[in-house]
Amino acid sequence: MVPLENYLVLSAIIFSLGVYGVLARRNAVLVLMSVELMLNAVSLNFIAFAAYLDPNKVTGAIFAVFVITVAAAEVGLALAIVIRLFRNRATSNVDEAATMKW
Amino acid sequence: MNGIDVAGPQIAVLGAAGVILLVDALVPQQRRLLPFIALIGLAVSALWTISWVARDDYQTAFGGTLSLDHFSVFFYFLFAGITAMVVLASIDWVNREGRGQGEYYALVLTACSGLMFLSAGRDLITIFIALELSSIPQYVLAGWGKDVRSSEAGLKYLLLGAIASSLLLYGMALLYGVTGTTMLAEIGETIAWSGDANRSVLVVAMTLLIAGFGFKMAVVPFQMWVPDVYQGAPTPVAAYLSVGSKAAAFAVVTRIFFEALGARFLSDDWSNVFAVLAAVTMTVGNVMAIVQTDIKRMLGYSSIAQAGNFLVGLAAISVAGGEFTLGASGVLFFLAAYAFTNLGVFVAVIAISQKIGSDQIRDYAGMWKRSPFLSLGLAFCLVSLTGIPPTAGFWAKLYIFNAGIRADLTWLVVVGVLNSLVSAYYYWGVIRQLFTGASEDSTAIRTSPSIGLSLGVAAAGVFVFGILPMPLISAARDAAAIFAQH
Amino acid sequence: MLYEYGQIGILLVIALVFPVGALVTSWALGFVRIRPKNVSNPVKDDIYECGLRTEGPSLVQFNFRFYYIALLFVLFDVELVFLFPWALVFDKVGWAGYFEGLSFIGILGLGILYAWRKRALEWRL
Repeated sequence: MVPLENYLVLSAIIFSLGVYGVLARRNAVLVLMSVELMLNAVSLNFIAFAAYLDPNKVTGAIFAVFVITVAAAEVGLALAIVIRLFRNRATSNVDEAATMKW
Repeated sequence: MNGIDVAGPQIAVLGAAGVILLVDALVPQQRRLLPFIALIGLAVSALWTISWVARDDYQTAFGGTLSLDHFSVFFYFLFAGITAMVVLASIDWVNREGRGQGEYYALVLTACSGLMFLSAGRDLITIFIALELSSIPQYVLAGWGKDVRSSEAGLKYLLLGAIASSLLLYGMALLYGVTGTTMLAEIGETIAWSGDANRSVLVVAMTLLIAGFGFKMAVVPFQMWVPDVYQGAPTPVAAYLSVGSKAAAFAVVTRIFFEALGARFLSDDWSNVFAVLAAVTMTVGNVMAIVQTDIKRMLGYSSIAQAGNFLVGLAAISVAGGEFTLGASGVLFFLAAYAFTNLGVFVAVIAISQKIGSDQIRDYAGMWKRSPFLSLGLAFCLVSLTGIPPTAGFWAKLYIFNAGIRADLTWLVVVGVLNSLVSAYYYWGVIRQLFTGASEDSTAIRTSPSIGLSLGVAAAGVFVFGILPMPLISAARDAAAIFAQH
Repeated sequence: MLYEYGQIGILLVIALVFPVGALVTSWALGFVRIRPKNVSNPVKDDIYECGLRTEGPSLVQFNFRFYYIALLFVLFDVELVFLFPWALVFDKVGWAGYFEGLSFIGILGLGILYAWRKRALEWRL
């Protein structure tokens, strides 16, 4: 049996990769993918906790299912906005999407 | 069926959203009825809430995940009112914009139901879904305008919102891991029972929760999106964001931190965190607001500064004499007063900006001669934001600072009062432009009935609760009292 | 525990051996001169056994109109994740659970109808 800590460490690593991607990437689509990575890391956490600690074994899994759907909705919407921006601007670079400053 | 009855106020709002979409898709020639359907839906929701108040039978539903109590009822009324004012203020703008009218109102209503669920959720899953149910429509609405800036605002809001919700989820996951449950009350019991054995994990979870919700509350250092989104988003949407999502975020933070993380060894920690955040938020918001020339951007920074004031109430948890919830009731009272005030300001800005086609503060010069009604309403609401009597904003600040002093946070209250002086400077700058500035264009600005009605209601609310604040204060006290059993 | 990781390790080794082995073999065969290099003729360049001859470069930008379809597909596809738990406990939740599942599918159906009515399924600008 793999101990719970391994899952938590894996999830923390994936989450950190996501955070790094969010901070380092300038392309909106790549930022979005990094956010997905963060959300999936959290889902992994939930499922690991559900399997190891929760007497009912399901609550965390249910949470993970909701996280998946919400993530899909957010990605769909974000791509819609990116495409709109792209048609107006021909860029998906978040730095260039900065007509407003301070 | 009991669950449907308990969730009735939200279902009424969602139902109205569905009807609007159907009418828009099937009988497009009846489009001008859409805002009225929205208002009817909100009225039904409010009536449903009133019926629960009349039945005086507060209860939970769906296995305890949704709670109908004084707290959620307070926010049901608040959100129905806010949304109704936003719908009224949007009519002109949406008609002019022309496209997607049905979707606009449907999204506003969907967001409203999300806000209501957020204030009533007593389970982490419900809270997360409600947060997204309110956020996703708001992302769409922020990117609703035709210009690039609006798309940009939508994208920024969405990306930062998604990051914030993943931080929030990480915090929730840790909380779930430590306690093995997602119900707030059970989390609170488990923590109280196990003592500070898991303290380090809980502190990490708490930090992540504050970060995630801090984004929605627009608290420094999670405030960077606010000015950009307020400036880029359509003005009615900015108005909605500035009061609706902020109020819901404070509601849910109050509920989570008082109900699940209310254990003494934790509340000492988070009240300190909130106190520091409050001081920083007020100061940054006010200082940045001074240099703004765009009124929507200035209002963005001013709403950040106001979030700092609300945080004083959350920090003031350790009031001597067992008045555990004095600070929380201050937050609720301030939120309601702020909702009227800030909506009033935004409605006036919508009306004026539409006519003069500019958001620059200097273009507001001499507005007094062009539209006395709008100028007076705007000036009065700005006075209330500053916190000068006889306005609701004055009592709100007094009440929340009083809670701060009684919780031994005198330093924070001093910072707050100094910040109010700073804020008076830039609010006064707008008022001075309105009344003394000279403008080359002196054509009168006519206000449409819907704008006039919403501005009138907002200003009347600010004035009435400025003269007679007691009903609102006692409602807020009742609402916050549900957390007193600890 | 080590045993379980060992199983994954064996899988990993096998998964590495195949591609690396193929690459190494082909690289090694490059030294064995069986036939002259760089001989090309139309028959040899033809597609192996079946398929169409490619035209133009393969890294083309997809028409963004596919996006509407893709978006709808992803959304409805993901919503179906809720039906898996429902299917698992289908026989235990009784009629109430059955109708709740049906109403969920019904709401999804309304979503499709809405997309259809708003002409999101048509090929247009």
